[in-house]
Amino acid sequence: MTMAEWALLVLLGALSLASALGLLLSRNAVYAALFLVLNFSVGAVIYLLFNAPFLAVTQVAVYAGAIMVLFVFVIMLLGAERLAPAENPPGLAYQRPLAIILAVALLAVAAWALLSGAQIEPSPSVAPRPDSSPQAMGMWLFGPYLLPLQVVALLLLAAMVGALVLSRKS
Amino acid sequence: MMINSTDVVAVLPFISVALGSVGLLIADLLIPAERRHVTAWLAAALLLTAAVIALSLLGSPTFEAFGGMVISDPTAFFLDTLICTIGLVTILLTLRYNQVRGILRGEFYILLALSISGMTLVTHANNLLILLLGIELLSIPLYVLCGIARPRLESEESALKYFLTGAFASGFLVYGIALTYGASGTLSLQTAPAAPNVSGDPLLLIGIGLILVGLGFKVAAVPFHLWAPDTYEGAPTTVTAFMATATKVAGFAALLRVLHGGLPGMESTWQPLVAIIAAATMIVGNLAALAQQNLKRMLAYSSIAHAGYALVGVAAHDTTSVVFYLTGYAFTTLAAFAVITAIGSSEGEEMQFLEAYSGLGRQKPLLGAVLAIAMFSLIGIPPTVGFIGKYFVFQAAVAKGLVWLAVLGVLTSAMAAYYYLRVVMVAFIREGSAAAPLPTPSAPRNLAAAISVAAVFVLGVVPALLLSMIGNGMLSTTP
Amino acid sequence: MELFVASPILFPLLGILLNVLIGKKLGERGVGWLASTVVVASFAVSLALFAQVAGDSEHAAVHVKVLPWISAGPLQVSWGLLVDPLSSVMMLIVTGIGALIHIYSIGYMHGDPHFQRFFVYLNLFIASMLTLVMADNFLVLFVGWELVGLCSYLLIGFWFTELKNAAAGRKAFVVNRIGDVGFVLGILAIFVTFGSLDFAEVFKAVKAQGGALAAAAGVITLLLFIGATGKSAQIPLFVWLPDAMAGPTPVSALIHAATMVTAGIYMMTRAHALFELAPFTQQIVALVGALTALVAGTSALRQLDIKRVLAYSTVSQLGFMVAAAGLGAYVASMFHLLTHAFFKALLFLAAGSVIHGMGHDRHTDPQDMRNMGGLARRMPVTFAAFVIGGLALAGVPPLSGFFSKDEILLAAFTHQPLTFLLLGATAIVTALYVGRQLILVFLGEPRTASAAHAHESPAVMTAPLIALAVGAVLGGALNLPGGGWLHHWLEPLIAEQAKPLNLPLAAFFTALSVLALAVAGWMYRRPERAAREVARGVGLFLARAWRIDDAYAQVVVKPFYFISTVCAQVVDVGLVDGAVNGVGDVFRRLAQLVRGLQTGLVRNYGLVMLLGAVLVTAYFVVVR
Repeated sequence: MTMAEWALLVLLGALSLASALGLLLSRNAVYAALFLVLNFSVGAVIYLLFNAPFLAVTQVAVYAGAIMVLFVFVIMLLGAERLAPAENPPGLAYQRPLAIILAVALLAVAAWALLSGAQIEPSPSVAPRPDSSPQAMGMWLFGPYLLPLQVVALLLLAAMVGALVLSRKS
Repeated sequence: MMINSTDVVAVLPFISVALGSVGLLIADLLIPAERRHVTAWLAAALLLTAAVIALSLLGSPTFEAFGGMVISDPTAFFLDTLICTIGLVTILLTLRYNQVRGILRGEFYILLALSISGMTLVTHANNLLILLLGIELLSIPLYVLCGIARPRLESEESALKYFLTGAFASGFLVYGIALTYGASGTLSLQTAPAAPNVSGDPLLLIGIGLILVGLGFKVAAVPFHLWAPDTYEGAPTTVTAFMATATKVAGFAALLRVLHGGLPGMESTWQPLVAIIAAATMIVGNLAALAQQNLKRMLAYSSIAHAGYALVGVAAHDTTSVVFYLTGYAFTTLAAFAVITAIGSSEGEEMQFLEAYSGLGRQKPLLGAVLAIAMFSLIGIPPTVGFIGKYFVFQAAVAKGLVWLAVLGVLTSAMAAYYYLRVVMVAFIREGSAAAPLPTPSAPRNLAAAISVAAVFVLGVVPALLLSMIGNGMLSTTP
Repeated sequence: MELFVASPILFPLLGILLNVLIGKKLGERGVGWLASTVVVASFAVSLALFAQVAGDSEHAAVHVKVLPWISAGPLQVSWGLLVDPLSSVMMLIVTGIGALIHIYSIGYMHGDPHFQRFFVYLNLFIASMLTLVMADNFLVLFVGWELVGLCSYLLIGFWFTELKNAAAGRKAFVVNRIGDVGFVLGILAIFVTFGSLDFAEVFKAVKAQGGALAAAAGVITLLLFIGATGKSAQIPLFVWLPDAMAGPTPVSALIHAATMVTAGIYMMTRAHALFELAPFTQQIVALVGALTALVAGTSALRQLDIKRVLAYSTVSQLGFMVAAAGLGAYVASMFHLLTHAFFKALLFLAAGSVIHGMGHDRHTDPQDMRNMGGLARRMPVTFAAFVIGGLALAGVPPLSGFFSKDEILLAAFTHQPLTFLLLGATAIVTALYVGRQLILVFLGEPRTASAAHAHESPAVMTAPLIALAVGAVLGGALNLPGGGWLHHWLEPLIAEQAKPLNLPLAAFFTALSVLALAVAGWMYRRPERAAREVARGVGLFLARAWRIDDAYAQVVVKPFYFISTVCAQVVDVGLVDGAVNGVGDVFRRLAQLVRGLQTGLVRNYGLVMLLGAVLVTAYFVVVR
């Protein structure tokens, strides 16, 4: 990986984090959705950087495209652009600072582990990066990953049935 | 890669349940709305078939399939049999209960079957991807099943709480799997730590830690147990019965696959941690159960406490004892829930508080006896299966040098007698109150209760039957 | 052969089956006689097995494996039954006295709405107790051990209309479970040490390895003894037995005097080879037994309930047996177990007859001795039975209790001065409370209408009294001083040197006992004294059994309740109000607050999970 690529990766990582935070903290649902679009797009660029063009295109087309349009559409339809201002119920004010402390602690443990372990480079046992052309992806999905693929299909079916059960007026 | 017959046989129970649930979905369309119990019986037949298939495969030797993604050993097929049987018993419980509450819907059984298909996949998982997919496949239908009594508020609350905390836990699980992959470059449970210089890699350790968090949630181990009482209490009792038994078994199947079946050579790393979690789970589960007046909630804490005992066996690296314990626990708990589903059915109103059971033993001696036997088995009194199960896990712990854990287990189970006996006392000793309605008759439910009670005694008196089926536990395929 | 050996257990089970299935059709008498007949059949088979062992020149044990049970790796356990000299004696006690008490119960429980259930439980008890004594390994013994505990629980709470009785049943069960913790751990320790749970293999290994096992034997025997303190009601776990008197009187006689409570002594005798390797444990056993004997004996001095006197007396006599076991005098211990089974069952059944006869006035407590008096003339057979039982208990020669108690005192005299002092004092106290009870119940003038209208019980009840009285009189002949029959009978198992009668010692205690009886007679010539002396001070202290129960309530139960409620409040805010009583206002308000904010709760669940994740990952990083 060249120096320039390395710098780009760091930049993209920072952007990805920032957009995720923006999604979490925004009180306006439309802004939040837009932050999510940004986040997905950054992800797509990172995939490109890792030489996975098919995944990048899919990410843009499916997530940043189709799914987000659906999200924004639903938000508009429900008129739920603005969330209620963050309420801080009495007696529960401790929750937020505590959550932040714990999250930082988890991060710190992970960071410490990473830095104290010498292996930032991937270990030699990592398989060579596969050919990521659509055709190769197809071979992968219907070859070694056939079972997971079918399970995912079943999972989507379950989610669909579930959504119908929960939304149907009884 | 072509699929061959070995691949199919390896996960035949999963395949049959999965295909069957799709078939059920179609069949349900053809069944008129007022004859929904036909769907229920079809689902029962499906699960019976799957159980028989899994049972017939028990004798086959250990082998991997789908390029090592799944593994098939006697333990896996036994767990498949157990889970399908639990599903079958649950369906018997639902027929009357769900009808009275207006949730005798085709989707109920489709979702139940889908969830079971996920469970029968988890039991065979030899790869973290399959493990994750199996767990999600079993969880998502359950989220919906908890809320199926919509618009009952408690049912919705139960589903929402389970979903939110479950999604949170899934996050940990996925992150852990990602880190494990990052450290080892593989998702296979057999080879992950086998790569050179990897087993001590902090990245791998954190990954495994986060996987344990996610699985700890599924089995409701302390401190990842908080969802269980709320969810168990609010969900329809038939769903609670299923979750307290089948989900627990599947969660432990996943834990066993990761810790006993996979990660060879890492026992010394995880053993103290699992032992500590087991200890905390036994203490907290039993202590909190002491104060409960609500029977469903008490059984929720009891299920947490029993997860603690099973974890003792996990910590001791004794697969057989864990599987035996879970089998006994599952049938015992099903017997208890059979009684709960019977009470108050006529009103459609849940009778969860202990008071509602006063005088049960006198008005309906047989139902009262089932409840009492379930409680005695949960305490661990011979000759019920609860005793043998506890004996096995404690002995495994002592044999592994975890004496303190065995002592703690025996102590907490002595404490547990107090709250289980309170149930027996109320049922047999108090005068029945006029407000407590008589249980409604239901032949399938009675059959379910009879099956469960028979299992409690048969397994307690002749545990050899089961031990030979479970086999010698999970052995890593790589030395 | 297997079937024949197992049949003493199977007969009662058959009785249960028949009574459950066709009990309604048989009617009250049919149920009672059926249940009694099966126990008599068990007794007959036990006699035959006894004869078989006796007929063998070596007294070789009859040993059968009925069914395989557990076969998991090194753990091989089967449902094996062992009839050797020790277990055959126990079998005869259980089935013999059991049969008599079954017959007695037909009269005593007459008219009870749950007559059928009572006999089902009683038969279940006989089957369980036989499983306990016939087991050929520790695990089957434990199965019987737990089952008799279960029967005891069911029978104590039998008259469940009163919540008090049910609570007594649960107390008995939970206290026993504490003892069982020790027993289970002891069994695990035995398995770890010897790799087997079979008596034969374990004791063979003990014999072979001897002193090399001292450390392990110390741990194992201490754990087993904890089990014994629960079942045989010793300090610190004896508190359940007096409360257990809430059950019907035949139950008190059978379970809480003659058989179940002696299980601990039987178990220690069975495992005596282990105990002999652990002198430290033996010291503790002897002291605990002797101390229990004295504490319970003095408590019996100030009880007003006719059955509670006998309950504390039972605890005290069990103390004698345990002390004897601790002194290594296992034959004396078994001998006292045997004679005590006769005379204490007799006393309880006689007390039951008194309670039965006192049923005239609904409003007087038929068990309170203050309401009695002058029953000797109205219930002559019962009176005679009670006198025989009482004198045997007080150790007056030539009744059975004299011989067995004397043997224990002699063993203590030669081994341990402190134990001897405690037991000697108890022997005198015993005579005192026997005298007090005899006078308060039977002599003087009737103090209430119930007592005045008391009547003798029917023949079905008095006949067992007579049979037991014969046993209480003649039981001493079974082991006369200087190596009697029992001594020789148990010789293949317990090699112990027989001691001749120590005449000065025996005469001394006989004189003291008779004197104590006379003193009691003089003290209670005015029966009002009994009510007065328990009002305060030492009397109250003794009446409340040295306040040990109260101390438990303060030191153990209360804090435990507090911790569990607080735990449940903090961890589980969905708790109902009913359980919140006694918890601080702060917690209640907190609970109310959080209950209104369900989403807040889920967030808290998430927080705790996050905390757990931090701890788990930190653990892995730290231990790496």
